[in-house]
Amino acid sequence: MTVAIAVAVVGAGSLMLRLLPLVGATLIPDRMTVHAARAAMAVLAAMTVRTVLRHHDDALAGSRVTAPVLAALAVGLGLWLAYRGRSVLVASGVGLATYVVLAAGFAGLP
Amino acid sequence: MHSVKSRVARSGDQQIARTAQLAAVRATDVTSGARGVLPAVVAFAPLALMVGAAVAASDDPMAAWLSTWSIHGGAAQLITLDVVAQQPGWIAAATAGLLVQIRLSAYSTAMVADWRTAPLGLRLLAGVVLSDAPWALAQSRSTGRRGFYLGAGLTLFFAWPAMVTVGTAVGDVVGGVTAAALVPALVVGCTVVSQLRQRAVLVAATAAGGSAVATVMASSGLAFVCAAVVGIVAGLVSDQTRSRDRAEAVAS
Repeated sequence: MTVAIAVAVVGAGSLMLRLLPLVGATLIPDRMTVHAARAAMAVLAAMTVRTVLRHHDDALAGSRVTAPVLAALAVGLGLWLAYRGRSVLVASGVGLATYVVLAAGFAGLP
Repeated sequence: MHSVKSRVARSGDQQIARTAQLAAVRATDVTSGARGVLPAVVAFAPLALMVGAAVAASDDPMAAWLSTWSIHGGAAQLITLDVVAQQPGWIAAATAGLLVQIRLSAYSTAMVADWRTAPLGLRLLAGVVLSDAPWALAQSRSTGRRGFYLGAGLTLFFAWPAMVTVGTAVGDVVGGVTAAALVPALVVGCTVVSQLRQRAVLVAATAAGGSAVATVMASSGLAFVCAAVVGIVAGLVSDQTRSRDRAEAVAS
């Protein structure tokens, strides 16, 4: 029962958060939509940084430091490619492949 | 008489042609949105399998599975199920889940400029299918944003529960592949960097990155709220600096 109540509250709340601004669209000033767009971009940027910083890989020696550093290099390369105009698919693929290669190289170190 | 009739017929034909052209453009945008979100669908598959495994392990798998549509966010669903499994009562779990979802109100508010003139039904549909990837991908479009967003949103809205359902059956089979955890960050990050040519967005994203470093030990919900606030303030500061620079340039 606890699970049902918890997920029902989060589900209903999520729907409200998604729907209310769009339902009351005529009441929201343009300036607020600009700030909201920046806030949303900021959250997405923070999400990316957070994932990199909290990345862990038990196969690597000194995983607490090595894994985030390798993740930062790989994700950084992917993002740089995206900034240079490559598609999301190519940029993400190169970033992922870079991590796999780097992690395999570091895992092989004594 | 004949000339009036032919003029009316010609104008009707033109209108039909214009409507058909508009419908074709919209269909193209929807298709291109559906195609554009496919890398994100692949990227979110490992997370969906993780959520599916958590749903299957929950005390009430049916309720947990049904919430996949209403929550429509992997991180929030995972955190809610995680907290409810560890702590008695639903309040802590619901609070943790909702904190992660607060960012959706920022996306929804940001969409108002594009959707203000749309019929209520379409606005409701846009809100129901809202999640990170469709919103972020649609931002990079200068035209046909509504159609593109709907194509991307609807595709993910059906693909995500399907992948979660697969996860309930097969479990977290990709849990051991650590590189998979980076894919959603890559996809989301790639959509952000394409917007960084706007100075205010660059400043907001950089400040939010700093905020993410400072709040790395905090809960996801709190970290996202901090990033949003920092992003808004940084954007405002950037606007003011730019206005001052312009005023000084005009004065000199």
